[in-house]
Amino acid sequence: MLSTLLLSGCSNLFSGVASQLADGLSESILSSSDIETVREGVPAFLLLIDGLLKSGAETTELLVSAADLNGSFSVLVEDKDRLKILSAKAMRYSDQAACVASSQLCGARQLAFSEYETVVASLSSKDLLVAYSLGTSWVGRLQANSDDWAVISELNRAKLLMEKVVELDETYQNGRAHLYLGGIETLLPKLMGGRPEKGKKHFERAIEIEERFLLSKVIFAEQYARLVFDQQLHDRLLEEVLAADPIAGEFTLTNQIAKKRATILLEGSKDYF
Amino acid sequence: MKIKVVYFFFVASFFPLAASGEIFKIATISPDGLGWMSKLREGLEQIQVQTEERVIFKIYPGGVQGDDATVLRKMRIRQLNGGVFAAGSLTRFFPDLQVYNLPLQFRSYNEVDFVRAQIDSYISNGLQNAGIKTFAFTETGFAYLLANESVTSLKDLRKLKAWIPDNDPIAAELIKSFDVSPIPLNITDVLPALQTGMINAVVGPPSVVLALQWHNHLSHLMNLPLVYIYSMLAMDMKAYSRVSAADQETVENILDDVFELVGQDARLDNEKALQALKGIGITFVEPSNKAEWQEAADLSVKKLMESGEISEEAVNRYLLLLKNFRSMQND
Repeated sequence: MLSTLLLSGCSNLFSGVASQLADGLSESILSSSDIETVREGVPAFLLLIDGLLKSGAETTELLVSAADLNGSFSVLVEDKDRLKILSAKAMRYSDQAACVASSQLCGARQLAFSEYETVVASLSSKDLLVAYSLGTSWVGRLQANSDDWAVISELNRAKLLMEKVVELDETYQNGRAHLYLGGIETLLPKLMGGRPEKGKKHFERAIEIEERFLLSKVIFAEQYARLVFDQQLHDRLLEEVLAADPIAGEFTLTNQIAKKRATILLEGSKDYF
Repeated sequence: MKIKVVYFFFVASFFPLAASGEIFKIATISPDGLGWMSKLREGLEQIQVQTEERVIFKIYPGGVQGDDATVLRKMRIRQLNGGVFAAGSLTRFFPDLQVYNLPLQFRSYNEVDFVRAQIDSYISNGLQNAGIKTFAFTETGFAYLLANESVTSLKDLRKLKAWIPDNDPIAAELIKSFDVSPIPLNITDVLPALQTGMINAVVGPPSVVLALQWHNHLSHLMNLPLVYIYSMLAMDMKAYSRVSAADQETVENILDDVFELVGQDARLDNEKALQALKGIGITFVEPSNKAEWQEAADLSVKKLMESGEISEEAVNRYLLLLKNFRSMQND
């Protein structure tokens, strides 16, 4: 479910130079309440944006948009190989965006961990766009390659970046970095080295920052409440999602997905707990 | 010797129903969603169907029932009736189960397979006589020493600030046999301790080192399997006996298959994790003098036997099998 978060990232879509070609497209995708139409329609835009980049329109904004769109679309794809391709593409575009923006993050992924830590520590608010893009693409890469230990080894690098985003501006992208961090901290139970209580705080903060974004409560329920076996919290969060109006501007599409997932999780609650 | 397995253990319990079936409640520290958990859930569903709901398992994941020691305590008071444990956690029921954990004895998976084919039943029978029902043992894998500097000799090792799991006296004894002063810590504290330099070495299976992100603060791996770690689903025999013989056979067939498969996956996974460590730049170093390591390890085995922590009979049988296997390989 954490991957669904990527979908909300495409609010950057077609911003910058190329935005004149598709003004309002981002808004119409994210405001859509029709998941299937989006699933069928987005591949055409993937090709369009690839074409724009090949034609030399390589701006930071467009590269970030391309990364977002590829990452976002992976949420609607079930084929594992295709997921890997999309997430790799998103990662590549985010990497390029960092370089085009002349950010210190350019090439930083390959540094030794201690050097990478130094780079991340030195980032400032001007790096937010590329840092957040790299962070989200990285989480997508991790999810698409959860069977690959070399990729899993990168988890704390992605986490470090998201922590920096929170430090620079926790409300950036409606507090989405908190949600990613909540997901990462609740991957493992405490007895296996996870930090579910820290994750809980991130989830709560994400909800405080933007309550209309229903996915936050679904991920909170699925990742945290299930992990710590808190059925009351689990069911309450999901019931709140089901009772909420999904039509909420740029959150509409993600909210529809959140509601679908909430229904499945709530139906399975009795068996799980 | 007892090594806490950080990767997977779970807890089970049985609650007799007034009606027709037994509800077996199983808890685990593993979160739902890991591959082996999915396999277990599938197996448990098969059991429920094939026994026509006379045997039902319920899983409590994520360590909500506590660690191994807590689970064993809950088993004693019938709140829980079993679980999957790091083998070492069950030592008090049958000390000879530590025979596979003896340091630097197994050198390859071929040796493991040869010896286990002949000793597993000895261990499961020993546990059963102590009131613990087990199913096919599951391999967690070989643990290696990783440090933030090159370690090839015992002298290098003794300079390290090495972590061992807290509440693990036998692991502490083991590491002391190499004349190392261990730093006992809860597993949650290992990463911060590596970050701050409080410790600079760990011993663990490669998959654990990667999953818990310890590798970012380590630079070298000594390419010598130090210890073999395994786990098992263990249940209170009294509770298990309430199930009819026919249903027991169904449960055993299905769970044995599940854990065989999980063990095979774990082996592959650890091999991949070991390669990944190399791929991401961890330097693999060979011990400079294997004989000195072996000597120290053999001494610790001897001490374990002398202290009565493991029977001489079990160790001798184990060592003989290893010797036979090696001579067959040399023929």
